[in-house]
Amino acid sequence: MSESAGIVLATGLTKGFGAGLTRVEVIQELDLEVATGEMVAVVGPSGVGKSTLLHLIGLLDRPERGRIALDGVQTDDLEPDARAELRNRDIGFVFQHHHLLEELDALDNVALPVRIAGEKGRVARDRAAELLDAVGLSDRASHFPDQLSGGEQQRVSVARALAMRPKLLLADEPTGNLDSANAERLFQLVTELHLKAGLTSIIVTHNEEMARRCDRIFRLARRADLSENVRTI
Amino acid sequence: MSLSAELHVASRYLVGTRRWTPVVTVTLISLFGLGLGVFALVVTLALLDGFQSGIRSQIVAHASHAEIWPVTGRRIEDPEKLASLLQGALGNVEIVQMVRGTCLVSSDTDAVPASVVGRSDTDRVTVDRILSRRLGVASGDRVEVISARQRLTPMGPLPVRIRTEIARISTPEPGAESGEVVLPIERAQRLLWGERVIEAIELREMSDPWTLGQRARKVLDEAGVAVRVAGLEELHRPLLTALALEKIMIFVAVGLMLVVAALNLLCNVAMVAAEKRKDLAVMAGLGFSPSSLRRLFLVLGLSIGLVGSVAGAIFGSGLALVLDRTGALELPQGVFMVTAVPFSVDPMTVGLVVAVALGLAALAAWLPARMVARREPSEGLRYE
Repeated sequence: MSESAGIVLATGLTKGFGAGLTRVEVIQELDLEVATGEMVAVVGPSGVGKSTLLHLIGLLDRPERGRIALDGVQTDDLEPDARAELRNRDIGFVFQHHHLLEELDALDNVALPVRIAGEKGRVARDRAAELLDAVGLSDRASHFPDQLSGGEQQRVSVARALAMRPKLLLADEPTGNLDSANAERLFQLVTELHLKAGLTSIIVTHNEEMARRCDRIFRLARRADLSENVRTI
Repeated sequence: MSLSAELHVASRYLVGTRRWTPVVTVTLISLFGLGLGVFALVVTLALLDGFQSGIRSQIVAHASHAEIWPVTGRRIEDPEKLASLLQGALGNVEIVQMVRGTCLVSSDTDAVPASVVGRSDTDRVTVDRILSRRLGVASGDRVEVISARQRLTPMGPLPVRIRTEIARISTPEPGAESGEVVLPIERAQRLLWGERVIEAIELREMSDPWTLGQRARKVLDEAGVAVRVAGLEELHRPLLTALALEKIMIFVAVGLMLVVAALNLLCNVAMVAAEKRKDLAVMAGLGFSPSSLRRLFLVLGLSIGLVGSVAGAIFGSGLALVLDRTGALELPQGVFMVTAVPFSVDPMTVGLVVAVALGLAALAAWLPARMVARREPSEGLRYE
């Protein structure tokens, strides 16, 4: 697929939860295209399906209807193991809560995706050390998550997301749990790495100011599909 | 994908934790449970093997290791030629010629039917403990052995009989129920046949008694001698089958402890799966495939199984060996064949116990592993 077709091409996405009277349609007939190198903010009120959209694009969940192509690869019919390989190789995740594994120190947390790819421990740890250096945490490599501040935990999480040099970075409210100073520092870091690594980034955020600093804003609204850059409730 | 990521995470879950969590507690309980099950099974089977090897030793010490009979009729043709053939082919083998029959044995107080065995390797009369008790006789007493064979006398046909002094009271063979009197072969031939007849040939060889029957059969088959040959296994089949059955039953009964321990392990692994639900979703996000997650949980279960069962096997075998060497568990004298409870640690049996424990541990880990692998990664993240 050509670059102009977009690294992310989602068409007719529909996803709901529950059944019968408790059924909630979270996303309905949603189309989305993100070009290579774009930094896109996804904003909208809580419960509108921002995280669900990110999970669908990140192959953490399957849509009930619709198709998702990542860098030209149709993902809908892929077997679970192939989806996992694609997540490992091409997608980096940053979650709102850092979601670092508490049994692993910062270095091992960052090295984990590289180990999953089958690299030897030393190669993985060398790569992790480089990334911790890039996020300014080389002196905290042997610290465990509970020995790091919230901002540091999230920076480790960003380093982990970039461990496999992915094409696509998906961040789900990465600054949601940080104070404004730490949030700003993290956002700057993500922006810097986005440019430096030539990433395509989709960032879910409630922070309007940060959203405006992205290339585009997708505003998700209740009972609305997503076809233009901005939608209001 | 190599196993290194799964092993890395599993090792951190098991030994890398830095605080006391319910998972640690339940893991230790699972370890202890499985170890205890293996320990109990190893000690019990070592005890059983101890007693059973005592019985086998008694059989080897007192019974024939192979016997040869004619295919038809009761007498072996040309027993001397057959003996020299076996001696030449098998080397240092004890060969005893025998006749057998049933006679009435009487003392001053009673008369009971008993087996009479004539042997070429004895020149004195031995009565086993069963018969001596029934007749109320001891060494030095005299008994009369009355055959069913008759001879014609001036008073008409009378049973052939001999009166003899008991030289020794012997221990009966394990499992023997009827009494036995052993005579020098010439006297037994006179009593049972009235001529020099050999009914059976007994072979003994202490270096490898359990295969003597097979080897003798091969020699005789190759020489074209048509006789029936029975080895130790065939001669004592009912007893040996009972011993094997006993071991299997004990293995199954005590092995149920392992099943209970495995169920406990299943709960433990399921608890880890529940407590680490979010971690697992994150790991899936980082690229762990469903099969990797399944392998991670199998590694967890098998690690607990391996440590628990190996520890149980080491402690169980160690205790059994110490108890056997020291004879710490004494038995009342005269009641049993041994003075202390015997233990025998068979590496094959211990290996089998460990293998069964590992198999159960793998099965116990498989169910939660399957459950984890079937989840979509987003399920663990959705309700954070």
